[in-house]
Amino acid sequence: MRGHGFLLANYVPGNSLLHRAPLAAKFLLVAACGLVSFIIVDWRISAAILAVLGALFLASGAGTKRLWRAVRPLAPVLLVIGLFQWWQLGGPTSARIVLNILVCVVAASLLTATTPVQRILDGVVQLVRPFKKFGADPERFALTVGIMLRSIPFIAGTFADVRDSAKARGLERNPRALVLPVFITSVAYARQTGEALAARGLGEPEDVEPAAKRS
Amino acid sequence: MPAVVFDQVSIAVEREDSPQPKVLLEAVNLELREARIGVIGANGSGKSTLLRLVNGLVQPTSGTVRVDGDDTVRAVRKVRRNVGFVFTDPLSQLVMPTGREDVELSLRRSVGNGTERRNQAEAALGRFGLQDLADQSIYELSGGERQLMALAAVLAVDPRVLVLDEPSTLLDLRNRELLRRTLADLDQQIIMSTHDLDLALDMDRVLVIEGGRVAFDGSPAEAVAAYRSWCLGGLPSAERDVR
Repeated sequence: MRGHGFLLANYVPGNSLLHRAPLAAKFLLVAACGLVSFIIVDWRISAAILAVLGALFLASGAGTKRLWRAVRPLAPVLLVIGLFQWWQLGGPTSARIVLNILVCVVAASLLTATTPVQRILDGVVQLVRPFKKFGADPERFALTVGIMLRSIPFIAGTFADVRDSAKARGLERNPRALVLPVFITSVAYARQTGEALAARGLGEPEDVEPAAKRS
Repeated sequence: MPAVVFDQVSIAVEREDSPQPKVLLEAVNLELREARIGVIGANGSGKSTLLRLVNGLVQPTSGTVRVDGDDTVRAVRKVRRNVGFVFTDPLSQLVMPTGREDVELSLRRSVGNGTERRNQAEAALGRFGLQDLADQSIYELSGGERQLMALAAVLAVDPRVLVLDEPSTLLDLRNRELLRRTLADLDQQIIMSTHDLDLALDMDRVLVIEGGRVAFDGSPAEAVAAYRSWCLGGLPSAERDVR
């Protein structure tokens, strides 16, 4: 499995201001970027925010290569969206939509590049803790977030592998030959992940005496 | 060494194309106390099913499996604390983006304090000399490095029994030797399925599984010789050579 199609940057150890910033502040930054992408109507402001986030990313020491790797998998999708919106709504709107998507991805990458996953998981656990009295399991929430972060590159990598094998068989224009194997592989991956977690006793309830007999 | 006991264990699964269930394991009785136990057999013979029973990943249709007296169905969480499981493909096993994060994930259940968890993860990685690779994406590691990382994540919680399902299948010769040396140094009881007969010869006891039954159970040299002769000369009958 190729698994190179990273959408979010992996954690890069460091001691920059962003590395030291409280997790809550970084969470808020990501949430705010998501929010402003709905509010901003001027593409120049979106471009300015993207430039600031890009500068922060580089200041964290994560490097241009990681920044490029974080946005590169999106390029074909952004190109399609951009062209379609240009045709439908004109250049400025198209630019704003594309830039706002990039703002969200770079903001999320800033969080993941400057915060160890375990700290993000601890943050999720704290965030969900008040809901424990309603039956929510904070550790399960955290585990879900962690697995999501790992699954995105897996699925992107699977797509790249499937596309190559379809190309080798001359089927690159057949959507079925692309979508179906990715879907099947993703389901198999989900099952394997579930099994791996179960084997390590993660995300499962305490032992109980079974009321029902085994079949 | 802990005792892993199979008592009249059978597993059968329903089939869509036949009213008769498919028997994966049939009436297996075993008491495993040796430090190093190998399980060999053809593909589809039931090796993986046998191993998965030890960790409670698979439940018997009838009979019981106990690890140090704990039933793998009734006390599955306790059993999983004591039994670490290493899969053939470490990419299926490593569920976090980097090795360090995966080792820390293993420790989340037992170590609440974040700093203590990080220290313990560092120690677990250090044990296998993996510190320099710990922050790399798991996709950037070689097959051998991934397998060692998966092993470090499982051993971080110090299980008493280590079950490995064909751990060397995807490894080249150098990484296979590295894995072999690493396993030799572990204190845990090891139960391992393998197609690598040299690795099987390192064990204290070897089971040959065929058609869901234990077709041979004895010393590694005898078991490997028996398996070789069956593979080359035809399949054994179910009753043959069960000791």
